Amino acid sequence: MNIIEIRELKKEYPLGNTIVPALRGVDLEVEEGEFMSIIGPSGSGKTTLLNVIGCIDFATAGSVTVGGREITTLSDTQVTDLRLNKIGFIFQNFNLIPVLDVFENIEFPLLLMKKSGAEARKRAEKLVEEVGLKEFAAHRPAELSGGQRQRVAIARALVTNPEIVLADEPTANLDSVTGAAILELMRRMNELEKTTFVFSTHDANVLKYARRIVKIKDGLIEKEPAAA
Amino acid sequence: MKLLLTIAWRNILRHKGKSLVIGVILFTGAFLMTVGNGVISGMAAGIEKNIINGFMGDIALISDAQKSDNILLNMMGSSIEPITTYRKIKEILLAQPYVRRFLPVGKNLAMLLDESTVTPGYAYLLGADFSEYRKMFPDNFTVIEGSYPAPGERALLVPAFARDEFYDFYNIWFLPEGGGVVKENLKKEALADINSLVVSTSVVMMGMTSGINTTSDIRFPVRGIVRYGALNQIFGHFCLVDIESYRECLGYFTAADMSVQVPKEEKKLLGMEGPDLDSLFGGDAMIVRDYKAAPKLRAAPAAAKTAEDGVYNAVFIKLVDGVSYKEALAKLNRAMAGGGTEVRAVPWNKASGPMGGMALIIKSALFIFVTLLFCVAVIIIVNTLTMSAIERSSEIGMMRAVGARKTFIAGMFLGETAILSAVFGGLGIAAGILAVKIIPLLEITTKNDMLQLLYGGNFFNPLLSFSGIALTAFQLLVVTVIAALYPMRVAVGITPLDAISRE
Ligand SMILES: Nc1ncnc2c1ncn2[C@@H]1O[C@H](COP(=O)(O)OP(=O)(O)OP(=O)(O)O)[C@@H](O)[C@H]1O
Ligand SMILES: [Mg+2]
Repeated sequence: MNIIEIRELKKEYPLGNTIVPALRGVDLEVEEGEFMSIIGPSGSGKTTLLNVIGCIDFATAGSVTVGGREITTLSDTQVTDLRLNKIGFIFQNFNLIPVLDVFENIEFPLLLMKKSGAEARKRAEKLVEEVGLKEFAAHRPAELSGGQRQRVAIARALVTNPEIVLADEPTANLDSVTGAAILELMRRMNELEKTTFVFSTHDANVLKYARRIVKIKDGLIEKEPAAA
Repeated sequence: MKLLLTIAWRNILRHKGKSLVIGVILFTGAFLMTVGNGVISGMAAGIEKNIINGFMGDIALISDAQKSDNILLNMMGSSIEPITTYRKIKEILLAQPYVRRFLPVGKNLAMLLDESTVTPGYAYLLGADFSEYRKMFPDNFTVIEGSYPAPGERALLVPAFARDEFYDFYNIWFLPEGGGVVKENLKKEALADINSLVVSTSVVMMGMTSGINTTSDIRFPVRGIVRYGALNQIFGHFCLVDIESYRECLGYFTAADMSVQVPKEEKKLLGMEGPDLDSLFGGDAMIVRDYKAAPKLRAAPAAAKTAEDGVYNAVFIKLVDGVSYKEALAKLNRAMAGGGTEVRAVPWNKASGPMGGMALIIKSALFIFVTLLFCVAVIIIVNTLTMSAIERSSEIGMMRAVGARKTFIAGMFLGETAILSAVFGGLGIAAGILAVKIIPLLEITTKNDMLQLLYGGNFFNPLLSFSGIALTAFQLLVVTVIAALYPMRVAVGITPLDAISRE
């Protein structure tokens, strides 16, 4: 079953008097449980595509179906709930809530879901352990290294057991060792929980982990190479 | 909820500078509000205390024929209609359980006469039985010279304030009979003129009323000089006189010489109603008579006529504590109408005329001040919070991306403002309460009557009721919500995209 279905997706940004076409007719299908990478040169539209899939940005034309729901027809609250319940997002610049500590940041989506306190704590504890930040649970984001922050972001994206995790260059700001560890973690999650992963990168090392690679150039998907 | 408050609280701590700015504004606002409310309540209580306890009681009964309710501080010259049914009124009042005490009085304007001067001076005369008056108002004034008249004695008590005024008119310094000049009590000008000071122990007054044509000039012996506990510049216009002298002076039938009360109809027949000031100055108006020589208008009745059968102008009523004002007024009016007394009940704030209005003006001024204060506060808070919303847009956008609804973001902002206003506003209210409690201990006094009205007594005495504090808290709540509204809108408008595009 396709968890993501994109047809004729166009995205244009107005820039002054001109219009910048970021995506120019993208067709893409992603199956449940895939571990997929989107690659392409800078400015090709990777971030834009992930944002549209993640219901953070909206298409100018075309259709985007996530988890069986056509997102262009949804209200703001419905879109928000879709993000909360189905999607985990790992940002390139690992945004965390500065006033909450590691544990609280990870627990945050669960509390938004109104999960019971004990249940939320148990699940968050598990994730803190899995990303190897147990000793740092009480630290605030400002007291963490870049890699540690990215791990918190990953744990937060995974804590709700989302169907899809979208990650925009999750290792771009990390050294290769930390990057590899993060990818290992994502891989394990994918195998363990059957979570669908879609991530962008232009790092060749990262590509080794991908089971499917989609190339994007000038806002269009290129022919797919064979799966790694 | 807990999550919201946690985040809100930590954000407050994180942005200490901003929080402090908002906090100081809220603190100041709440403090001034509380003190302001205290002053207003103190003032209201003070006016009530001064007027009710020391001047006229809670309610006055006045004649149905009386046009204006304001019988005490009315314009000079308009006379107060007589009440001739006191016997009936008394019976009815005695049967009302909510009436604690009552006192029939005569009240009208009198002109001071002096053979050597042409310009007349005026004073209000308050005619009452001295011992009854003392029971009704036991401590509203102190006798600073002379003594309190004995029961039944014919005498006049002159307020120190009125004496000063009389001096301005006539250059005569009035003294109680048998008393000497007390230097401390002398008016400044009089003190300067002490060697040639003209003194007198009696005052000649002519009652001024439009109802009856036979007002008389009466020479009153001054028994004492009094000073009211408060509002001397207002109450000090009232000379207290025994009721029989009062009636003679006003040309009312005294109890002693009255065989028939003056029914209203008869007066109408005589065509003497209406505020015709010219009619006051009859041919014999300037002839001075001693009260002892005052002519009897009618033959003295043989029996059983007491002072109570004579004419009054009002009946002052004090209510039992805790009795509802409106209810008492309604009940009294019903009872009086039913008893054929031809009087109606009016509350103190109407009977004392402009003083209630003055209180209203001060209240309005304070209200406007507080409103302005809060407008400024709202503007500053809105500005600060909006800035902070914009500064935090990547954080807020990220929360939205992770799945926080708009209501969550709105709640976070409201929570922040609510905590700030609870903490700082609460402190402000507490400080205000403290100030209100401390101020009376400083015993700040004033000679200014307007201020005395504000002070609500001899010294500045603001009061705080629970409802006053609740009002402040409510106003604070309104300010908080209004101030948070716009920043909330801005924050809610931040999209997840804003978080991402901020790199
Ligand atoms: N908010 C925006 N306003 C205008 N143009 C934009 C905006 N966001 C992206 N673009 C344009 O859309 C195109 C695609 O941008 P996008 O960020 O998706 O590229 P990318 O593949 O993620 O690049 P990179 O590898 O550098 O992150 C670019 O030409 C970019 O300039
Ligand atoms: Mg990008």
